Amino acid sequence: MVEGGFQEFVAAYVLEAEEHLETATNQLLSIETALRSGGANLKGLREAFRSLHTIKGLSAMVGVEPVVSIAHRMETLLRSCDRRSAKLPIESIDVLLGGLRAIRSRVRAFGEGKPVPLPEPELLRALDELDDEHGADSAEIPPLELEPALASKLGALEVEQLRAGLAEGQRAVRVDFNPSVEKSARGVTINQVRERVQQLGELVKVFPTSKPPSGEQPGGLAFVIVLLTRAPDAAVAEAASVEPDSVQLLASPPSREALLASKQRALGEFDANNPANEEIAAPQRGVVRVEVSRLDETVDGLSALIVTRFRLSRAVRALRDKGIDTRELEEIVGDNGRQLRNLRAAILRVRMVPVSELLDRIPLIVRSLKRSMNRLVELDLDSGGTEVDKAVAERLFPAVVHLIRNAVDHAIETPDERVRRGKPQEGSIRVECSNRSNRWLEMRITDDGRGIDAEAVARRGGVPVPATSAGLLALICRSGLSTRDVATTTSGRGMGMEIVERIVTQQLGGELSLSTEFGKGTTFTLLVPLTITVVDAFSFISGGQRFVTPVATIDEIVELDRSTLQGPTLSGKSAVKLMARRGRPVPVLSLAEVFRMPAPENEAKALIVRSGDEIVAFSIDRMLGQQEIVVRPLNDSLVKVPGVSGATDLGDGKPTLVLDLISLGSRLGERGGLHA
Amino acid sequence: MSALYVVFVVGGAEYALPASVVLQLEPFQGATPVPGTPDYVAGIVQVRGHVIPVIDLSRLFGGEALTPTFDTRIVVTERGARRVGLLVEKSREVLRVEPASLQATPGVIEENSRGFVEGLAQMGARTLMLISLSKVIGEDELNVESPKHLEPGSSGVPELPGAVAAGVARNDGGARPEH
Repeated sequence: MVEGGFQEFVAAYVLEAEEHLETATNQLLSIETALRSGGANLKGLREAFRSLHTIKGLSAMVGVEPVVSIAHRMETLLRSCDRRSAKLPIESIDVLLGGLRAIRSRVRAFGEGKPVPLPEPELLRALDELDDEHGADSAEIPPLELEPALASKLGALEVEQLRAGLAEGQRAVRVDFNPSVEKSARGVTINQVRERVQQLGELVKVFPTSKPPSGEQPGGLAFVIVLLTRAPDAAVAEAASVEPDSVQLLASPPSREALLASKQRALGEFDANNPANEEIAAPQRGVVRVEVSRLDETVDGLSALIVTRFRLSRAVRALRDKGIDTRELEEIVGDNGRQLRNLRAAILRVRMVPVSELLDRIPLIVRSLKRSMNRLVELDLDSGGTEVDKAVAERLFPAVVHLIRNAVDHAIETPDERVRRGKPQEGSIRVECSNRSNRWLEMRITDDGRGIDAEAVARRGGVPVPATSAGLLALICRSGLSTRDVATTTSGRGMGMEIVERIVTQQLGGELSLSTEFGKGTTFTLLVPLTITVVDAFSFISGGQRFVTPVATIDEIVELDRSTLQGPTLSGKSAVKLMARRGRPVPVLSLAEVFRMPAPENEAKALIVRSGDEIVAFSIDRMLGQQEIVVRPLNDSLVKVPGVSGATDLGDGKPTLVLDLISLGSRLGERGGLHA
Repeated sequence: MSALYVVFVVGGAEYALPASVVLQLEPFQGATPVPGTPDYVAGIVQVRGHVIPVIDLSRLFGGEALTPTFDTRIVVTERGARRVGLLVEKSREVLRVEPASLQATPGVIEENSRGFVEGLAQMGARTLMLISLSKVIGEDELNVESPKHLEPGSSGVPELPGAVAAGVARNDGGARPEH
């Protein structure tokens, strides 16, 4: 973890920024709701302000300047509203949400190590305009009296610094400093000047510029210092050891009196730079943000414990078989098992995230959709207090988004049409969640729109009208089938149902069902497991069959040189050969033979696994690749066999067996072996 | 009280299961063999997202392994928390069986069928053998939802993520409390 310092820092930044973005989004939406009903949500305004303020600070720390400048403008706008205890103009919500989107995409780009684009000028302009129109105390900053060649060298952070300094009532001045032989003889150097002027205000930038060299200035170098200060020019000139006319005003604050007055007013209410306010703003819940990979480390450790327990109980059995009294030992092993089970449950709970977090993101999606689609939609979201594993939540979300989009885009009619059909003008989309047993989450997404016209779907598909809703679902999940002729910007062509079905059934091993009444509405029901197991796995061929096995269980993959294999084979047993590996003999078993499948003569590779102190090499036909897989347990006793830990779908809709070669290896080492 | 039965053909003879235990019929496109399972287990298949074992009924009933044709079907059954597919030659019918047509299983049939047939239904000239699902798929004490088992996935506690990665011997009998 030593080298991961900055990466971890970046990851933490992205996580935290995302969290604040979400808060800000939710607050803006609730402000909008309040505004529509004639109220004002000042608390929400401050929350949003704090989030943006934090985002700005974090972004400045990691140096993502485009984010700093967007967040700063948004923050300024919110602050000026808050200071005046004014309502946020409703038309500003769109612009602000646009700003949040712009920030989010840049934060993500930064997190992925991609270049972070500069803010769109339109967005900045829109934010500035809003602030001008409605912010009494943040009039336009006068342009700097600085030649373009220098002005263009000012970074976004420096521009922001100037802006903020001016807003606080400081003046921006320019000091031209020309080093000379005579000055350095007096000890006046750029470094000394820099230090001294800094005491008079905020040093914004020191530009080195070139001059024709002369006897007095052999270096041909001069400096332009940009300073924010409240001190008079003469004091600055003195500090810089220059003539007073070398100090020029670049910009003065808009209207100092007005600013000071509003500042005084605001101080009593809220000041984000006040540490006391920061403390209030900090989340008070006892929440720790943890990266999933760290949790996985814990789980790996737990798995190792479970393996040890297997060995322990086996050892106890062996003792008992020898007639030794093991009652106390068995009791301890029993306790140990219970504790492990509790620990496992506890760790699983840590990985669970509230489904409400997922649902919280829906209003934003619907909001932008109903605008562009001219729909009135009322959302009713009920997470039912359910939780799912983070890995499930991440996969489930796109499916939910698809279904919601479809509902707004295809199902809910326009307000006029709804009135004609005798429905309330505002359509309704309801999302309800509940736990079905302690392993499954049921999510129902219901709309009161036009329902699915089975006949139209069948006509387009060129098939008979399905008799059951399951048949209809299968039909609309068929790739490329859409009941719409025109691709829309929101749902694209087709309904995306194919993707929804793939996520729910293939990726998550759940079930998707449908109930629809033409003209009345549609309900999609998603049944998904609360947890799934995702591992990085090798895929390979053995005995003509494809298998996968977790990367973590494989010590090494080696080329198998048949000619160097040693081995007197014991009669009657399957062929055990030996290979030399780092000076140690390692038994080589053909996986196909172990599984009693036809084993080809020329197996070229071997997977080396270590179980306890034993090392075993399983020879296979060939490697296929490596990929992340979702493991589905094989729980049925009919197919619970040693060495097979589950199944996965590699994308062909057919299960591929997930092998546990470590337990297979240790099984083979036991008396009697696999087929005893 | 009459009941609906799903009728299917195995080894040329007609068998039936109560429609109440049959979830659906699926075409058969091959199963993934699972090494180390009994020979009557054809393997596992994925049906609407679920991975389920498939029993070759022909093989279970003592015949040859079924040779798949276009007519071959998987009868997907549900019993408690278990879902098991039964591989049959064909299945096209759902019949209503009146109580009056139910017959006791002759002793010789019961003996020969190892208990798989739990009754007969005489439908005119046709004789349907009514199958005991629990005998066919076997009792699975592991899949009884009870917290007694230590095995991941069978205790009602969700599967342990990463367990596979670290090589948890899920199939190791030693995981269960000593019997």
